[in-house]
Amino acid sequence: MAKDWEPKIIAFCCNWCSYGGADTAGVGRMQHPPSARIVRVMCSGRVEPSLVLKAFREGADGVFVGGCHLGDCHYQSGNYKWWRRAEALKRYLEQIGIEPERFRYEWISASEGEKFAQVMTEFHETILELGPLKLDERLKKL
Amino acid sequence: MRIATTWLCCCSGCHVSMLDLHERLLKLFEDVELVHCPVLMDVKEIPDDVDVALIEGGIRNEENVEVAEELREKAEVVVALGTCACYGGVPGLANLFSNEELLEAVYVETASTENEEGTIPSEGVPELTWRVHPFSDVIEVDYELPGCPPEPDRIAEVLEAILEGEEPELPGYNLCEECPREKREEGLIIPEIRRPVEGEPDPDRCLLEQGYLCMGPATRAGCGARCPKAGVPCTGCAGPTDRSVDQGARMLSTIASAFRADEDEVDPGELVERLRDPVSWFCRFTLPASLIPFRVDR
Repeated sequence: MAKDWEPKIIAFCCNWCSYGGADTAGVGRMQHPPSARIVRVMCSGRVEPSLVLKAFREGADGVFVGGCHLGDCHYQSGNYKWWRRAEALKRYLEQIGIEPERFRYEWISASEGEKFAQVMTEFHETILELGPLKLDERLKKL
Repeated sequence: MRIATTWLCCCSGCHVSMLDLHERLLKLFEDVELVHCPVLMDVKEIPDDVDVALIEGGIRNEENVEVAEELREKAEVVVALGTCACYGGVPGLANLFSNEELLEAVYVETASTENEEGTIPSEGVPELTWRVHPFSDVIEVDYELPGCPPEPDRIAEVLEAILEGEEPELPGYNLCEECPREKREEGLIIPEIRRPVEGEPDPDRCLLEQGYLCMGPATRAGCGARCPKAGVPCTGCAGPTDRSVDQGARMLSTIASAFRADEDEVDPGELVERLRDPVSWFCRFTLPASLIPFRVDR
């Protein structure tokens, strides 16, 4: 594996909890690898499978989605909808040949900066082990 | 007006659908000269100066690429006729396998094949491309007319518009909007997922509400909801609407969101258990044009 490769992770974080969790991690100066690019969404229920697939298509090696704890959703049931979508999507990814480990979702509240940092570190390690997805080369093939 | 048609990786069903115009075809062809049509005519070469080319089928081998490129060069307007042309179609599910696996399956492994030496044809046949493509991956396309096959009336409308020098238009909305089945006013709720063979569908109510995986919400309108009208769930043959990037992902999202949407705490386990084969179910017609258009670990 090329030494200069660093995992590229796209992290969709919900405005009310996980994004706050990332903030808490930052304010508390908790260390985690800088491989994640965070995209703030209003709710994990806003994340649809096509967003995750598009992230992979456009070069992500891993995709993370963070939502409020079950029962804590700012919009009441958004994260339950996301939970079902996420599990269905996992099956889809498996079938299309993308290791399901490249896709991770967690429930992280705004006060759980530590959990955010820990999850990001773990996910970084997982992607590091799996290596680059290298989709772009094959997308160009005729 | 000089029209050429051809077929690439397809079944010629779209040509047959065009012939289903019957008398209307005669009217349509009053001002039209059919200069190239391998399905009907004994022609070897594509003539120069074609006004409109109707191409059916996607790209599966080198010959398809060559024919598509030649027609693009010689034709003023290129129309992708049918779902294989627009999105790769059912043959696109081959993208879930490697070419080696496919050739083995076809020429060696099938139970009725006698091929002791395991010979795979390699001489005088065009090489397979790495995967199936919609032909818009290879050449520029002016208009797309999806459907498996497109309804004869839609074909006539598109051709008439082009002959008149107008832009042909497709409905941008989804199938549910033209489906006459009764839908719950509060929105879609799917209480359980049923296979098409399980139970007997209520003749008037929305099929999805009854648990049958009807692709209506993720599929472009234009066929008049023929299948749901006949009690058969839509399989999504017309591809995605203008508003979605990936038909399969859209359907996955719809099903997961609506599954027991009236209950708060739903464990997704049961849903996943019932979605055994989401890729072939939701991307049956559009895998080669979807966001992840092939099995990545093939």
